[in-house]
Amino acid sequence: MGPRERACRGVRRGEAPRLSMKGYHDIVGDGGSRVLEQVAEQRTRITEGLAGVRHLVAVGSGKGGVGKSTLTLHLAGALRARGLRIAILDADFNGPSQARMAGVQGALFVPGSHKVALPRTRNGIGVFSMGSVIPESEALEFESAARGESHTWRATREFALLGEILGSFEWGALDLLMFDLPPGAERTVQYADFLGPRTSFLLVTIPSEVARGVVARSVAALSKGPNRLLGYVENMNGYYCRDCNAIKPLFVSPDASGLEIPCLGTVPFDPELARHCDRGIPLGELPETPVGRALEHVAQQLLDSLESTTEHPR
Amino acid sequence: MKFLCIPCDSPMKLQTVGPPERGSLSVVYSCPLCGYEMAMLTNPFETQLVQSLGVRIGPEGDAAASSTSDSRCPFNAMIPAMDQARPGQADEPIPVRWTPGAEARLENIPAFVRPMARTGIERFARERGSLEVDEKILDAARDFFGM
Repeated sequence: MGPRERACRGVRRGEAPRLSMKGYHDIVGDGGSRVLEQVAEQRTRITEGLAGVRHLVAVGSGKGGVGKSTLTLHLAGALRARGLRIAILDADFNGPSQARMAGVQGALFVPGSHKVALPRTRNGIGVFSMGSVIPESEALEFESAARGESHTWRATREFALLGEILGSFEWGALDLLMFDLPPGAERTVQYADFLGPRTSFLLVTIPSEVARGVVARSVAALSKGPNRLLGYVENMNGYYCRDCNAIKPLFVSPDASGLEIPCLGTVPFDPELARHCDRGIPLGELPETPVGRALEHVAQQLLDSLESTTEHPR
Repeated sequence: MKFLCIPCDSPMKLQTVGPPERGSLSVVYSCPLCGYEMAMLTNPFETQLVQSLGVRIGPEGDAAASSTSDSRCPFNAMIPAMDQARPGQADEPIPVRWTPGAEARLENIPAFVRPMARTGIERFARERGSLEVDEKILDAARDFFGM
């Protein structure tokens, strides 16, 4: 009797599998495809690559347009000015803005002995942004065997990309690696899952009830996981009028109550600062302003929070 | 996903992976005890889902096996033609030679930044009067541009 006949004898159609046969977890390995092993190897590369990074902080919100990227860059600048070694990974692959704001759109990627050297800004902040790779006139696209069905695989693909970036660049010895996250409450949680419990979260909101509502959802979702919630920053809390040298209201929000996590500070909007962001000029090169002082305060609060071993009540 | 030969109660082993055809992979498994073979034919969604993990599929130790992409690097599948230099960077007049050591280092970096890196480093070398990229040039570029 040949193998085919013997195999066909095993289980007839409609017949229940034998109780004695092996189950999934009885079998070591996956028969040679090494899919799980490759994923595990990538995880190891990431862990090893980030071993020299003291703090991992994801700057998220859930809400778009609240100034996550701007705040990330300027907080990094404020911390860099204190002598800390800082890097930013612009995790918003579909709407990368750090390359332009940090002035690394034309960054040169130089191969080191095993990995790629991280491009740096004029003031010494390491920045990886897809904006350094893909011109603003182009969108990030992937080849696909299932074109037209990107909703079924795109998020997985992007996280594989994030993993490859984390595993391929020299992060070295850093005090802080900041992840500039894309919008979306569900995406924020996916990043928490992917980056793991070492990563703490700083959330950004603006004084609008709609924004606070979305950020509150992110807080609720993140609170179910192991990641530490450092607090939130209320951005665009008024705007700085240079003519009056005063902070004027920008949003009218009747309910000023915060989220159920610590507030690390408020930062007013400064049109001049926004203009400099478009040109890739660091905060440190601007004259002292109320916005600069507010960012300094938030930077200090962030450092205090990171150094504190006490978990904030949720 | 694992496959079990029921008559032998033995895990089946991956033998070959056929090249993608209209988004479908042909993955052949066989039972090491009875030799029975079966093929798993993926639909494009299944192919893409595995590809999206940034992994390759093929028998263990077979570096040249057919896979969902040319290498394990998921960047390979990025469509933007990164091998095309950016405007203003094309048509460099003088060719620059790469030493084997420098070339090997270039191969270590993700495929999607490799063409950009090559173009930029060659420009860096020319600006320093060199028509050869060696590891010293790479180290100098790294010190100049990197963290």
